[in-house]
Amino acid sequence: MGLIVLTYLLFVTLPILAVFLKIEPSQVSAQLRNAGIIEAIKLSLITSASATLIAFVLAVPSAYFMVTRNFPGKTILDTLMDLPIVLPPAVAGVALLYTFAPKGLLGPFFNKPGFIIPGSTIAVVIAETFVASPFLFRSAKIGFENMDRDVINSAKMLSGSRLKVFLTITFPLSIRAIISGTMMTWARAMGEFGATLMFAGNIAGITQTMPLAIYMFLYSDPLAGIMLSIILIIISFSILIIVKLLDQKKFGAKK
Amino acid sequence: MIKADSITKSFDDKKVLENLSLEVKNGEILSLLGPNGCGKSTLLNIVSGLIMQNEGQIYVNDVLVSGKVGAKKVYIKPSERKIGYVFQTVSLFPHLRIQDNVAYGLKSLHLPRQEVKKRASNLLEFVGLLEYAKYYPHQLSGGQKQRVALARSLATDPQVLLLDEPVSAVDPQLRESFRLELKNYLQALKITVVYVTHNLSEAFVMSDRIAVMGNGRIEQVGSRTDIFDKPSSSYVAKFLGINTFKGKAIETRGGLLEIEVNGMLLLAPQAPNLVGKSVIATIKPEDIMLSKSADFNQVGVSRNSVEGVITEMVQMRSNAQVTIDAGFLVKTRVPLSDIKNLGLNLGDKVYLRFNADALNVFEDNSRN
Repeated sequence: MGLIVLTYLLFVTLPILAVFLKIEPSQVSAQLRNAGIIEAIKLSLITSASATLIAFVLAVPSAYFMVTRNFPGKTILDTLMDLPIVLPPAVAGVALLYTFAPKGLLGPFFNKPGFIIPGSTIAVVIAETFVASPFLFRSAKIGFENMDRDVINSAKMLSGSRLKVFLTITFPLSIRAIISGTMMTWARAMGEFGATLMFAGNIAGITQTMPLAIYMFLYSDPLAGIMLSIILIIISFSILIIVKLLDQKKFGAKK
Repeated sequence: MIKADSITKSFDDKKVLENLSLEVKNGEILSLLGPNGCGKSTLLNIVSGLIMQNEGQIYVNDVLVSGKVGAKKVYIKPSERKIGYVFQTVSLFPHLRIQDNVAYGLKSLHLPRQEVKKRASNLLEFVGLLEYAKYYPHQLSGGQKQRVALARSLATDPQVLLLDEPVSAVDPQLRESFRLELKNYLQALKITVVYVTHNLSEAFVMSDRIAVMGNGRIEQVGSRTDIFDKPSSSYVAKFLGINTFKGKAIETRGGLLEIEVNGMLLLAPQAPNLVGKSVIATIKPEDIMLSKSADFNQVGVSRNSVEGVITEMVQMRSNAQVTIDAGFLVKTRVPLSDIKNLGLNLGDKVYLRFNADALNVFEDNSRN
């Protein structure tokens, strides 16, 4: 029993440690000045922040709508909305190609002569939004669902403005779920690899985000790959801690 | 004043309210009494406008707030109906201070900030919680929270107040004192109040009139004594814990009505229009006296005497509920001292005595 647990704990933690052991502290500062690394970090930050912002604007109101309204086919739609969470990213990439590429379903609307979505930074943002936004959608939905209905009704008795009730009561009371979902979405967007590779390609400075750069550096410049990996590990770990802290304080959830 | 006129409401295919009508007079406290799940909260939600009825109209102080006028649909928002609503669960805004909870409705009225503060303080003072203004809801007890909820619901100066089992959010051992406190507040307000409860004694403490609800409609409305002495249906009688017997009205004799219950003749107050009909007779447990001998007191014409056997005795705080099988089951209340004096035991043969006046008889409209 103890052996099983020990084996498993090591199996999960050791690979993380292995990455850190591959680089000397003295090498870090040189790597942080590596133009390729900086470019990938910049691109990753810009695209993941854009994807998270878009996800926030689209997914939070949609989640509110799904929780507060009833309509036929709601369960099916709800399930479809969660699909990107389990969909293999490569499939997501292919699906996006057949939607946004010049000959795709919506291609004619989005591609202009001289501008093609696949291979552009916009494609990276689309891929990240597609794959990562369901995390926020789902989390926000749980936040809204867990609200005490009498609390919302009390607000409705006192204020005629739906928007005011949402902004002053519903939103603040589900803020933890929303922040936690936002962090998860951001983490997922930062780590996006498969869909981006399939849909946006691997072009340095344009579509080569950190995970893609790691893949490329693996043989040409292993140290740069390790540096990027370490940065991603630190970011992921920080997000995890924030989400855990938010989950611990169940403020605003039922009673 | 509230008037619910022929309200029908279904959820999916389940009819919750069916052609329900109820009028609550200006300034009265009316208890809406009924078992859990009988549609009490649904009615409040329709009156307040949180949900919409399928059919019927709601009036608040003679103003139509929801329903149809010809083909035109009327629906006034909950916040514009001049209704205050205190919910069953503690429904304070957990992220706002007590003073901001109370001021929530005031802020929608676009009043100057000083005025909002003053009014919120007055309301908190009314419920005796001014010193808690800066606290958060989780720092208060259940009873205090419900008092804040009351103050909050009063902020917009409602003409009607709806309370949905407000006592259920209070710790059981504090409920009785909270009830009395609440009653004092409600009486001081002098506004129209609908008080929803499933608890009989609570309805009695809180209100002038009681509306007994069941099967999606109002079964009976009346004063406490009306409801208890003259339940108008076996549903109401059973809900109040009153004995009900099915029988047949035979004839009127000597100013009294003779009814037959399970082969036994009982005397009830005069009611010539019931003669020959199937009837239901009700009698309160406390109106029945027990004795062990047949010649107890003088047996007058107006006094019924029935023989039976004790089948169950349940001891309560100051009296016991004694069930007697007299061909039909009769529940009685006997003071504990009498049980001792009379030496009542399970299986004993006893005589039930009650005045003809104590019997309440009405026509049995049920099909079986």
